[in-house]
Amino acid sequence: MSGRDPLRYFRIEARELVDQISAGVLDLDQQPEADVVARLLRFAHTLKGAARVVKQQEIAERAHEFEEVLVPHRDESTPSLPAEQMRELLRLNDEISGFVTALSAPAPAAAKPAPAEPEAAVRTVPLNEPTTQAEVDQATTDADLARGADAASDRPERAATADLDDLLDAIGEASSRIAPLRDGGRTLGRLHRNVETLGERMRVGRTTISDASARTSVRRLAGELGALGRRLTDAVDQVERELDEVRGRAEGLRLVPAGSIFTALRRAVRDAADAEGKVVRFQASGADVRMGPNLLNLISSAFLHVVRNAVVHGIEPEAQRRAAGKPAEGTVTVQVERRGRYAEFRCVDDGRGFDLAALRRTAEERGLLAPGADPGAQGLIDLVLHGGISTAPGVTDVAGRGIGMDVARDVALQLGGEVTIANRPGQGATVRLVVPLTLLSMSGLIVEAGGTTATMPLDAVRRCVRLSAGEMATATATARLAHEREVLPFLPLAQALHVPPGDDEARSGVAVVLTADRDTVAIGVDRLAGTSTLVARPLPDLAPAAAVIGSVSIDLDGNPRLVLDAHGLVAEARQESATARGDNSATVKPRMPILVVDDSLTTRMLERSILESAGYEVDLAASGEEGLERARSRQYGLYLSDIDMPGIDGFTFVARTKADPQLAHVPSILVSSRASADDKRRGAEAGAAAYVIKGEFNQEELLAHIRRLIL
Amino acid sequence: MTAAPGSVGRRLRRLRDDFDQSFAEPARSHDEEHLELLTIRAGGRPYAIKLSQSSGVHPDRPVTPLPGPLPALLGLAGFAGAVVPVYDLAALLGHPIADVPRWLVLAAGSPRLGLAFHELDGHVRAAVSDIIREAGENGGDDGGHGRGGTLRGLVDLPGGSRPIIDIPAMRTLVHGLAGHAQATDEEEAP
Repeated sequence: MSGRDPLRYFRIEARELVDQISAGVLDLDQQPEADVVARLLRFAHTLKGAARVVKQQEIAERAHEFEEVLVPHRDESTPSLPAEQMRELLRLNDEISGFVTALSAPAPAAAKPAPAEPEAAVRTVPLNEPTTQAEVDQATTDADLARGADAASDRPERAATADLDDLLDAIGEASSRIAPLRDGGRTLGRLHRNVETLGERMRVGRTTISDASARTSVRRLAGELGALGRRLTDAVDQVERELDEVRGRAEGLRLVPAGSIFTALRRAVRDAADAEGKVVRFQASGADVRMGPNLLNLISSAFLHVVRNAVVHGIEPEAQRRAAGKPAEGTVTVQVERRGRYAEFRCVDDGRGFDLAALRRTAEERGLLAPGADPGAQGLIDLVLHGGISTAPGVTDVAGRGIGMDVARDVALQLGGEVTIANRPGQGATVRLVVPLTLLSMSGLIVEAGGTTATMPLDAVRRCVRLSAGEMATATATARLAHEREVLPFLPLAQALHVPPGDDEARSGVAVVLTADRDTVAIGVDRLAGTSTLVARPLPDLAPAAAVIGSVSIDLDGNPRLVLDAHGLVAEARQESATARGDNSATVKPRMPILVVDDSLTTRMLERSILESAGYEVDLAASGEEGLERARSRQYGLYLSDIDMPGIDGFTFVARTKADPQLAHVPSILVSSRASADDKRRGAEAGAAAYVIKGEFNQEELLAHIRRLIL
Repeated sequence: MTAAPGSVGRRLRRLRDDFDQSFAEPARSHDEEHLELLTIRAGGRPYAIKLSQSSGVHPDRPVTPLPGPLPALLGLAGFAGAVVPVYDLAALLGHPIADVPRWLVLAAGSPRLGLAFHELDGHVRAAVSDIIREAGENGGDDGGHGRGGTLRGLVDLPGGSRPIIDIPAMRTLVHGLAGHAQATDEEEAP
């Protein structure tokens, strides 16, 4: 096909519009809102106009009919489309989609290698929402695949544009690093000529080595060569780094977001619910997890069955749901999550769960279970996975005899993963498919600890906090770190990696706050060494590793670098921290409260907010007397007192607590605007463990004192 | 820097070429009468490895330590984009020492496996007649010093006899340690 293909741009535009219409129809079905109708009308109208321009009458007509269905509902604040109109919209949507697909499918240009139209392959497509558009694009492709249509022929044109732009940027960056190398080449040429001249002069005997000018020349040459060498090394380092980035991004391009299968699943849920006369809402999360397209296609095919099963077998008819006190609308949720080197796909429904009695009957009828045998609830559930049973009373169109579970099991087997079912009788069921990921593109935070370099998955990192040497030592000793209103388990990475401790001297470092499994911990590292895009691959078969290691990547020098597993780190930190607490009875009670004594409301509130945000519970007293009263009524971990107060002053307050055998063990910190050495001495004499000057008030310093004293 | 045109330089070059050549064609068994052997030291003890059972020898490969349950697993090394687990031969043979091994031999077969040892003594071509108890029978205990039959036979060489490490048996041992089922179509090297 020549470069003047009149449909070239229409194909792209039409596909986008079809994608948006497909998603919009499902939106309308699930959540009828006026703006969805308006949006759909806009898309359909645009499509109609464009189709007419390129003389695609069938598409234009369907788009027109589509508009006709919607127009009467345009002004309804909550559009209510009768079921048959909804079905009509879906039908038209499918037809349009079919025509649009057919437009590109037989085009010989798509089959030919691209050079004829190179600009088409990397052309930036005008998109409304570039980031999600890629997902929507992919979703429709997969939806088509799921319906048996072959729509894969046009992938290159639709490659995620944002990713391509990133890749092009990275390539540009790498190319720009070549310039210094070229300069270096020129310099080298010049030096080479100089050396040859010098050699020539020595050969003909005009210059001897004792000649002062020759010595100068040699020295200068040596200096220039040295400088050139350093420049070349730097340039090569940079090129390598950039190329690594390019490689990471290019590898990432091969991967597709999990969200790309959501539209197909959503449609499957919708169609199954329609066939069953049920109302079911579809929810999904984890659209951004990226993985290989083959893997995702296989999982998509299995999950189509799984979500249909959830609708047909799981979600009860409306009357039953109401009777059970559930919302009339059922919910099917698909969640995708990356867990280290595995991807987990979950289908959660809030239906009736598996009918154990029916399962048992069927299993006995089919001879899968000896009559009277009791395999237990989970045993019965496992039969579903291993035997081809279905709990439906009849074989319906939508979900065959347990075929869904068989497909899921086969896919899991094929991919080296596994399927499990968690049944909550009356509450619903969760089908979980866990598959190992072979290649996974991710952003990593490079960290160093105990002389080792490792990568943390950046998506699990919440923030990084600099720790002074003292804070680091305290956190390590207590296995805990106060951070933003909570005390987090703290695990030094060197310990998790079994790196032998170096010199015992405490050094400052960084706490990387990680979240996984809805749990947050802090991991102590020596320093951060930047971020990078990397491709993680599974550990080799013959290399069993600790759970904190998730996978491995290849660094610039071709050497393996460990990629840490957030879930493993969280579990390890939890456990280590619990052990550390168990060993030390003084810290068994978590978070001893702090008593703040100050006559100034502002100071009290300021200190309270600082302490609470560091995770402590705080009580307040407005005078020394009130402070003493409170101190006797409750166990505190620390007193924080002002000095100048009406009534007894801070010195007295501290001295009295020290004099009271019940309170003497509780440390005190004096906070005052008095800065003289004399006052500090008096504070120490009274028994205060620390003295903080208000004028130099430093939140971190105060917290450091507190951590030292009560953690 | 060029070698003086003396006989020593020539001989050295020839020896080096021969040595290099032997690695270029590791799997070839030149004839039935002879066996290509690497003489090595692992954990201070002398051993021999059949070259035909290996697919490469490398000095000073950086090995990334991998924390895990197996002390014999030193870590991971990169070979042309592939990640290869590296085990300490001395530890596998039951006499680990603290020194970090310098050399690494890649075991023939798959999945890829690196075995690290401390010193490379040399490369010898031994007459089959110098091999004692070559037909060491499956699981034979080789005089009690083999671990799980990983030593098979002794070779008589100038400087003493050396036990021969059977790489396929070593691989089987590693598979067992790692809890990984071994593929059955493992080609047994001669």
